Amino acid sequence: MLVEIIEETKGKDGRRNLKVAKENLVELIKDLKSKGYDHLSLITGIDRKDRLEVVYHLHNMKKNEYIVVRTETMDERMPSISSLYAAANWEEREQYDMLGIVFEGHPNLKRLFLPESWVGHPLRKNYDLSKVQYINMDEDGNDYATFDPGDGW
Amino acid sequence: MVVEGEKIDQSKEWVELNIGPQHPSTHGVLRLRVKLDGETVKEVEPIIGYLHRNAEKLCEMDYYCDSLIYFDRMDYVGAMNMELGYLEAAEKVLGIPPPERAQWIRVIMAELNRIAAHLVWAGAFGLDLGMLTPFFYCFIEREKILRIFTAVSGSRQQTNYMSIGGVYQDIDDQIIYDIDQFTEEFPKKLEEIFNTFVKNDIFISRNKGVGILEPEVAIEYGVTGPMLRASGVEYDVRKAEPYLVYDKLNFDIPVSFKKDNLARFLVRFEEMRQSIRIIKQAIKKIPDGPYFNPKAKKSLMIRLRGEGEAYARTESSKGEFGVYIVADGSVKPYRVHVRSPAMRNLSVLPYLAKDVMIADLFSISGTTDLVFGEVDR
Amino acid sequence: MAEVKSGEGGALTTTVDQAMEWARSNSLWPLTFGLACCAIEMMAIQASNLDISRFGSEIFRNSPRQSDLMIVSGTVTKKMAPRLRRIYDEMPYPKYVIAMGVCVIQGGPYHLGYSVVLGVDRVVPVDVYVPGCPPTPEALTYGIMLLQKKIRNEAER
Repeated sequence: MLVEIIEETKGKDGRRNLKVAKENLVELIKDLKSKGYDHLSLITGIDRKDRLEVVYHLHNMKKNEYIVVRTETMDERMPSISSLYAAANWEEREQYDMLGIVFEGHPNLKRLFLPESWVGHPLRKNYDLSKVQYINMDEDGNDYATFDPGDGW
Repeated sequence: MVVEGEKIDQSKEWVELNIGPQHPSTHGVLRLRVKLDGETVKEVEPIIGYLHRNAEKLCEMDYYCDSLIYFDRMDYVGAMNMELGYLEAAEKVLGIPPPERAQWIRVIMAELNRIAAHLVWAGAFGLDLGMLTPFFYCFIEREKILRIFTAVSGSRQQTNYMSIGGVYQDIDDQIIYDIDQFTEEFPKKLEEIFNTFVKNDIFISRNKGVGILEPEVAIEYGVTGPMLRASGVEYDVRKAEPYLVYDKLNFDIPVSFKKDNLARFLVRFEEMRQSIRIIKQAIKKIPDGPYFNPKAKKSLMIRLRGEGEAYARTESSKGEFGVYIVADGSVKPYRVHVRSPAMRNLSVLPYLAKDVMIADLFSISGTTDLVFGEVDR
Repeated sequence: MAEVKSGEGGALTTTVDQAMEWARSNSLWPLTFGLACCAIEMMAIQASNLDISRFGSEIFRNSPRQSDLMIVSGTVTKKMAPRLRRIYDEMPYPKYVIAMGVCVIQGGPYHLGYSVVLGVDRVVPVDVYVPGCPPTPEALTYGIMLLQKKIRNEAER
């Protein structure tokens, strides 16, 4: 490996877990892609309360091997890998929507499911479900979120 | 190689068309923002989220056994496959493997549901192209499968049949006989349905050579399932990483090298024939024994504690369905994330629908087999 | 037709209202408004096993302008609710709404979450509620029959 691996573990499903620093992530994934890991299976963001963890599941279609790359961020920012995998485009948008991880270098970082003006990121552990938000549509057919129950549904 | 949609000239004024979210051909609540040049589609932007039902958040708030109902309702035409995907991951985290007999029952039910899901797809795809007849044939056959599901679980569609450590209840000889009868009768009916499609010249000419998906592009976008196999990549999770007892069963993976809409149609029909083959073998080989793991007694179910993390993948009717569960030692999962095959198959639509006629846009989006419960979750 | 009496010469006497209501109740044209899981069961009532044409709803119209019954089948999310309201507004009077499934009635299994409307009756007025998750096609057929009964009795009110 070109980059320094902080920790290598094995998950309960028997897959190799590589933990790297945030700065080395793109380099490692680029390296793995050149070694045949051509299928990006999953990007998962995990809210660990004090930090955000991002897990990448990479898959080698020919050899049928899985590798899990894990990295952490303290400031909600991550480098984007959407220039390496087309599949990362929507996956990163989803994680941005749900957990508020800002992927730097993403060409079109918009929310995937919720409207742009939604306040907060629902899968954060400190997201307050009791503050109900409502959605309405303006004349152009675009959504907006509001806290006013009289304005939306 | 990264494939990106060629940027169109934004200075020119294109005709913008908004399709959906309520539209007969969008299979639910897909919204497409299309830029047109005459009748040619220049750019498609799918907008999703109209069925975002916060399933992942609710999974974090519920016990392991309760989360199953959200998975039932993800791919609502293939509920058994979804349950299977969740349980494969949850059982690894909880350390409760299902006994032998439960594994065989799960295989039978998953394959029956794969047929039901493909039948719904075939009927809806026919409707997209203006063919009403196949729809009726498909739903008659699907009803027979649902009758079997009602007998085993009490529910037609959202079965909630499999549970942690096994299945909810055993199947008796009557049900095995019913399944046997079904596998005997279905192949003839399937050919009938198949002929209503392929003996129609209009159907062939509307699908042949339309929506070409190159294999490199498909892998790049994470497309799996019948769509990937129709592009000539022989890849099926049931063979690549066998789960349950699929390694003891004899079946083939249908592959087509034509890459177009018709190829995807043919691959799905061949999959149904292979599913029948699997069920026929499975009902002969099914062993006796307990149908659930005694560690997962129903009264103890909510006290089960998970440890570690696991990613399990199964082959649903749409493609590789993956569930990633992170546990923290409590009775509820810490994070559940779903790899939705239908969402990946949809994300390739802007590439597929470039420079096609607007009528072909719907035959292409029809063959991607979208189910919005799973795309939006 | 409860109130229609046959006269002495074999002629039928009825009020125009009752005749209209009878005709209307037997030609309900639903809108294809599939949202989620229940939509598949809604398709099933159209199919051969439970042919809804027997009750006069033979055609599912794709355009709200041509339909007079909206079967809200499946979870209504907050993002979908404004669209649902707009489609409802586009339907011509008289129009009816059937709420199919518990998600539509009160949020169903998703009522604890953040993105689901807790009952479609907050968005549009509902005539008949059909509970179930999802309701069987038989239950929906019964719901349509109840709606027909309601329409026939409208003149008396």
